[in-house]
This record gives sequence, structure tokens and C-alpha cells, in this order.
Amino acid sequence: MSPARRRKLLWQAVESAILLGALFLILFPILWMALTAFKRPVDLFGLTFLFTPTLDNFRAIFAHPWNIGHTLLNSFIVAAATVAISVPASTLAAYAFSRFELPFKGALFFTILATQFIPAVVVVLPFYLLFRDLGLLDTVYALIVVNLAIVTPFATWMLKGFLDAVPTESEEAALVDGATRLRVILDVVVPMIWPGVVVTAVFCFILTWNEFLFALILTRDDAVTLPVGITRFRTERGDLWELIAAAGILISIPMFLLASVIQRHFVRGMTGGAVK
Amino acid sequence: MRDRTLKYLLILPAALIVLGTTIWPLAVSLVTSFRDWRLTRSLAPGPFIGTEHYVIAFTDDPDFANAAMVTALFVLIDVTITVVSALGLALLLRRAGVLQSLTRAVLILPFAVSPALVGISFRFMFNAEMGVFTWLAGVLVPPLQNFVWLADEWAALLVLVFSDAWRWIPYMTLVVLGGLAALPKEPEEAARIDGATELQVLRDVTIPALLPVLAVVAILKTVFALKMFDQVVTLTGGGPGAATTTLAYLVYSIAFRWYDMGYASAVAWILTAILVFLAIWYMKLILRKPGQT
Repeated sequence: MSPARRRKLLWQAVESAILLGALFLILFPILWMALTAFKRPVDLFGLTFLFTPTLDNFRAIFAHPWNIGHTLLNSFIVAAATVAISVPASTLAAYAFSRFELPFKGALFFTILATQFIPAVVVVLPFYLLFRDLGLLDTVYALIVVNLAIVTPFATWMLKGFLDAVPTESEEAALVDGATRLRVILDVVVPMIWPGVVVTAVFCFILTWNEFLFALILTRDDAVTLPVGITRFRTERGDLWELIAAAGILISIPMFLLASVIQRHFVRGMTGGAVK
Repeated sequence: MRDRTLKYLLILPAALIVLGTTIWPLAVSLVTSFRDWRLTRSLAPGPFIGTEHYVIAFTDDPDFANAAMVTALFVLIDVTITVVSALGLALLLRRAGVLQSLTRAVLILPFAVSPALVGISFRFMFNAEMGVFTWLAGVLVPPLQNFVWLADEWAALLVLVFSDAWRWIPYMTLVVLGGLAALPKEPEEAARIDGATELQVLRDVTIPALLPVLAVVAILKTVFALKMFDQVVTLTGGGPGAATTTLAYLVYSIAFRWYDMGYASAVAWILTAILVFLAIWYMKLILRKPGQT
């Protein structure tokens, strides 16, 4: 074997080892939590892959006193309502930013984008005080309002990216034929960017579903969502890891499915089309 | 309706949402930061006290100084590890291969996990008695056998970085892969024909061309590291002591443990000012293309 060939083989072996290591680091925590969800408490200390699996943990989290079904419903209502309000509003705004000249357009767009950089903790203080005065603490309404703050700028930016990429000829043709601008948006533009709208909606759903800080501060019992719900399993009797793991699987599986479907666009959404 | 009116109406809903959910609370926080307002004394806002809170934060508050230091350390380690690993991993994943496509397929998974859940899972895995990572570290490095990770100041900070890097490195790898795919192939091939070694091609051709993408990755990661909050709550609780109390977590503590809304708002605004500065920088970087905005 020539030295060059030997060096190449060696390098390939190193590469494979690094990739195997990366795969292990990415997958192992997920796998471990998934296994833990099916363990009895006595098996937790064993650190073993060999145990008799049980569904008791899933039964326990849906039963009294945990009632995770209610928490699951809260998460779904908050995420769905936030998306239902912000995506249509963002679509219209993104269309205006993409197609029209506006005074202070640069500054306006910058403001919308810059809000993504604001730490959530500075936004939540006034809302906490406001909702306390209005008696809206611990309601899903309060959560929906604050989640709009995170999701709307994101959605506007993503949708503008999709709109910029769509040719305008068919819109102009429809306008020449006498259709109103609003009809053209609904009947011509939205169908053309529909995949983009779906990706944006899924993206916003994931963000809201996983949101923790707002829910931690603004809810107590009735309106708790899943990310805060899992912290409930840390009781005075100790941390109930097997229940945490079971609830964790419940939160994560739908998000894994959604994220895999939109993987390609996911990256673009986050960096606002800066990286194509 | 004429386009001239319509275009404003189209923006109106989104503008109202941003105004009501972001601009309004920002303004209220700013005003509150100049007031004495402790909920333990009164539910109504107290008198204006000028810049006193800001003066206290910068001159007379060891908690703030500590949190600023912790945040700076966390951001520095986290961003360095993320950028270097994402670049390295992306370069390895460029090639075709079973292992490569398998790894590419799972890169998105950690990012879909709720950060709060990531934190609590890592707390479990670094648990002293039954943590699988505690055990693994003991096997690989025997002196670490009975090490209690989350009780040690430095180790707790590193575990916090690990949990955040776990979520972000795969994601940023996807971003860098996107950047690599967009690079033209010719310069690399030309360099190879000229007899450059792979390492030289990487250093002199690929990485310089990738710098804009790496800058985006670095700034975005800095922003999200500065804002990072969920894992502090669910993984370390800011401890041991205050070893992992970041600025975002300090604001939360001041506001919802000590109920000092005035001072919490001031610290929150200091953090916001840093982030807005980064936002302007970032925006300049990505909107520099001519003909946009």
C-alpha cells in the first residue's frame, strides 16, 4: 500500500469516527429520554438498556393529579390560535413590503426584524402587570397575546422571502383583467406561495409550542402549557424522572415530525433568507 | 380601493401586533426602569428616581457584576464551540456517504426539542446518582467517577453550555451546509489543479468564501446565547450559588422573587441595549445586498 493511499484511508477512518461521535451525541440524549419513559422507577438507577418496558408512566401522567391531557390541550390552543392570528396578518404585511413602495420602508422593516432580538424577559414584565390588573393571569388569552410578539416578526420576514421569489406576471394580468388587489392577493398570490405559508405556519407552531418563559411567568394552574408542565414533576418527594421523560416524549414527537417535514425551510426561516 | 390606501391597510394588522406586543412593553419597561416600584411595598408604581437603578447596577451591585461576568463567559464559550463545531461538522458532511446522509437527516432533531425539556433532560443525565453522563464521564476519566457536576461552579456552567450547544450546533451545521452548497465550485477546483493540498484549499479558498455565513452564525448565536433563559431555570436554577445566573435569569429573579419591578426593568434594558446593538450589526450584514429595502 502506498503511503498516500494509507494516509487517505487513515483520514477516512478519522472522519468516520468523528461522524459516529457526532451521531452519538445528537441521538443519545433523545434515545435515553425515550427509554426512560418506559422504565419503572426502580430501573432508573440501573443505567441499563435491558429492562421490562412499561406504559405505566404514560398512564400516570394522564391521570390525576397530573392531568397532562389538559396541559396538552392548552399547548395546542395557544399554538394554534397564535398561528391563526399571526400568519394571515403577516402575509398581508409581507405582501405590502414585497410589492409596494412605502415611506420609511427600511426603518419599518428594520423595526419588525429587530423585535426578534429583544429578550422576552423585558417584554413580559409590563404584560405581567397588565394581565394582573385585568385578571387575565393564568389564561390562554394572555399567552396567545404575548406569543404573537415572537411569532409575527418571524412570519413576516419568512413570508416576504417567499413573496420576493414569486414572479409578478400573473398578478399583473389579473389586475389588468379588472380584479381588485385584495382578490388578487387571495386568489392568485396566496395559492402561489401556499407551500411557504404552510412552512411558516408550522415554524410558528413549533416556536409557540416550545415557548417556556412567558408560560412560566403568566400561568399557574389552568393555562399551563407543556414546557412548564414538565417542571411540575419535580416535587417535594424528589424529581419523578420517568414521568418527566414520558411527558417529554409527548411534547417532542409531534415537533420531530413537523420539523423533519420542513427541514430545508427551517434554516432559511431562522436566518431570514440570509443563507440560501 | 386604491393601492395607495390599501398598502397601509395591509400592514396595519401586523403593525398593530408588533406595536402592542413589543413596542408598548418595551416603552413601559423603559419608563419603569426610572421608577422606584417594589410590589412588596405597593401595587402602584412609585416615584421617579432618575438613573439611580442604572448607577446601582454598574457601581454597587455584586449580583449584577456576577451575572454580567457569567453571561460573558457563557456567550464566549458557547459561541466559540458552536461556530467551530458547526463549521467542522459541515465540512465533513459535504461529501456523499451513508454516515454523512444519516447524520444530515438527524441534524434538525435537537432544535425541535423544547429548550426547557433539553435543560431538564440534561439535569437528569448529569444527576449524581443515576445520571448516564455522570457515569460515562467516570468510565472515560476515572477521577471523575463520583464527581457531582451540577454542584461545581465551573462544571455547572460547562454543562449549561453543553446543553445549549447540543441544541444549536446541529442546527448551525445545517446553516453552514446551506452556505457551502451556495459556493461556486470553480475556485476550489482551480486551487487543487494548481497543486494546493486539501488543507490549503480549506484555509485559503473555502473558509474565506464562507466568512459571511460564519459571521451570521456567530452573531445569531451570540444573540440567542445572550437571551438564553429556559435551560438556566430547568437545568441549574442559576446555581450552584450564582455560578450560572445569567443576566436574563437575574432579571427574572429580581422581578419575580424580590418583586422589584423598577430595578428588574433597568437590568432588562441593559440587556436589551446590548441586543439591539447586535441587531443593527446583524441587519447591516445581511441587508447589504444592493436593491433591498
